[in-house]
Amino acid sequence: MSLPILTGAADWPQMLLARAANGAVADIEVAEAKGAWAAFKKATTELTPEVVLHTITESGLRGRGGAGYPTGSKWRDCVAQADPVHYVVANGFEADPGAQVDRVLMELDPHAVVEGTAIAAWVVGAEAAIIAVSSAAPLAAERLRVAVEEAEERGYIGRGADGRRLEIEVREVTGSFVVGEETVLLRALEGKRAQPDQRPPYPTREGLWGKPTVVNNVKTLAAVPWIVANGAGAYTSLGSAQTPGTTLVQLGGAVGTPGIVEVPLGATVREILDGPGGSAKKKFKAVLVGGPTGGFLPSNALDTPFNYEALRQAGAVGGSGTLLALDESACLVDVATLMTRYLSYSACGKTIPCRIGIKRLAELGTASCSGHVRPSDAQLLNELATDIRDAALCGLEADAGNPLLSVMRYFAPEFEAHSLRGECPAGVCQPISLAGAVSS
Amino acid sequence: MRTERIPGLAIFKGLAFAIRQVFRPNLTVRYPEEQNPISPRHRGRLILLYDEAGALKCETCFQCAQACPIECIDMGGVDTRDRYHVHWGASEQYAERREESALRRSGRPVPDRSFDAYEPIDLGPLDEILAAGRYKPANALAMLEGAQGVYGHLPVAALQHIAHQTGANYAELYGLATSYPHLHFEPPVGHVVRVCRCTSCTLLGGGRVLDAFREHLGTDVGGVSPDGSVRLGVTECGGASVGSAYVEIDGEPLPKSSPEDAATIAAALRANVPQGEAA
Repeated sequence: MSLPILTGAADWPQMLLARAANGAVADIEVAEAKGAWAAFKKATTELTPEVVLHTITESGLRGRGGAGYPTGSKWRDCVAQADPVHYVVANGFEADPGAQVDRVLMELDPHAVVEGTAIAAWVVGAEAAIIAVSSAAPLAAERLRVAVEEAEERGYIGRGADGRRLEIEVREVTGSFVVGEETVLLRALEGKRAQPDQRPPYPTREGLWGKPTVVNNVKTLAAVPWIVANGAGAYTSLGSAQTPGTTLVQLGGAVGTPGIVEVPLGATVREILDGPGGSAKKKFKAVLVGGPTGGFLPSNALDTPFNYEALRQAGAVGGSGTLLALDESACLVDVATLMTRYLSYSACGKTIPCRIGIKRLAELGTASCSGHVRPSDAQLLNELATDIRDAALCGLEADAGNPLLSVMRYFAPEFEAHSLRGECPAGVCQPISLAGAVSS
Repeated sequence: MRTERIPGLAIFKGLAFAIRQVFRPNLTVRYPEEQNPISPRHRGRLILLYDEAGALKCETCFQCAQACPIECIDMGGVDTRDRYHVHWGASEQYAERREESALRRSGRPVPDRSFDAYEPIDLGPLDEILAAGRYKPANALAMLEGAQGVYGHLPVAALQHIAHQTGANYAELYGLATSYPHLHFEPPVGHVVRVCRCTSCTLLGGGRVLDAFREHLGTDVGGVSPDGSVRLGVTECGGASVGSAYVEIDGEPLPKSSPEDAATIAAALRANVPQGEAA
């Protein structure tokens, strides 16, 4: 089931979902009438890879997977490698169990993803590209396959198309939360156990099968054709100066209208929630930004702009692009503990701080919720979460402490009520719920 | 307390200790020329440690089994995903001793699933899969998927056969299989109930629904109900939950879920076990 596409504020640009405003564009005829593949044809006939690479660098496009690494630099690093065999991997494995942003993008406009992948492969000189889709999204995989086949029939990609050779494969991948991380995804595509690798060397040097590989989120790649068609200048005028462009955000929880909306990076969390999210059912207590590894923002921090640096500074991540509003009925310690437990369940087990540390974090959270907490546990939790982040091999591990840390940071009174007095202000935590408190 | 007041005493104490050490006999044994006597009851057994709360410290990560060069480490337990798993090493070596020691302690053998001999399977179809994969450990994932397609699950005998034929370490194969959620070690049962554990589903009461299923099915996540008819698992809603937590029965999402419904659903599923799949 797909969430509805919401319309943003009037001055918010439509780019990623511009073609699919009136429903999915599965057919290549319709898509081409609306401008699909024009950028690829323009790039391959009029421009050189170096010019396109320069345009992408100038546009300031940054990876939408969460880290926000500049796409131009990533491609340039891959191009610079001496190894003649390069790969491009489009990461459409939506790791967040409650998110469907990437899936909806691939379902609504598969051609943008395929065209973006084709341009990326052409720029970095890759002859094979893989679009990785979660096996839980069969419709997205099917539409991408059709899009790839149609593009092959037209001769844009495929074997021996006017001297170029580019084969795009749509691969369904199964796995847990951690597979969304780039090195883990590469191992999964190789058919190995899904575990991250030490970086550096980054995948741009040693990626799939040890060859230089560009791994980009599908949202990043879907923006590439627009940038090539309209130029870098047009793109930098969108969003904020630091992080131009738009991204997709999923609204959920206690918002009036759950759905997916395209927002310019730099719009504040409050603007996103109040505009497309509609009026809230109840008063927001907190907003969870970024899925299971994200952080809770309190209602007085909602003016944080939605971009990588600001969110990270506020203790959240932009990663999965989900905003989940929580009302007064939720106990944040309980929710943060649940998320930590989910992360410990999803951990691949490669590094010890992750395998054991996150489990201990979840145990500390459970102790807080059940009233068996010691006064020193808050400090222990803080130190443990910091150590896990410092020892992290992948994003899951680095951000695993975010939920509990952000609760301690912004909702200290609620946390202390649990840890010092054994009370749950929301009345959710079972053994210690407050008499007379209203539960959901 | 008084001794602390005498200056320099600690130095002499330290010196005295050091000098005593010089005249003590050497503890190093030039193994294997010389050997320390070993108690006849010594079995060289690996012991699992417990923490102060009484919980087992072993995370069942199989790193020790993977590191062991002669594959003698063998274990059973609950892994980090709360699934009961057994690493079937060379069980026949160890099971006898274990039975013997259990007998000695209690006077009767203690039945333990982890040391039962595994069921033999027809290896014919598996050999074809192995040949198709050219016996390369790099194609192990495809082999495991093929084996699951043939046998319905991954029997221990199949994993052992793949390990023997490809030369891949058993623990590596086991690690590969456990990291993919679509591969499973237990035979399929009649029905599967899956509950989403994402944050938004939990806010919609997913935890209470899961607890209700736990209670009414009589099993925890990853387990099978006592009568062997229904398995309880977890899934991912992918944002599909609007209004109530996302619950899947045999892959079909429920239109609405609540803790109250869990009892009736559990009873209905237990009563209605399809014959073909239950076998």
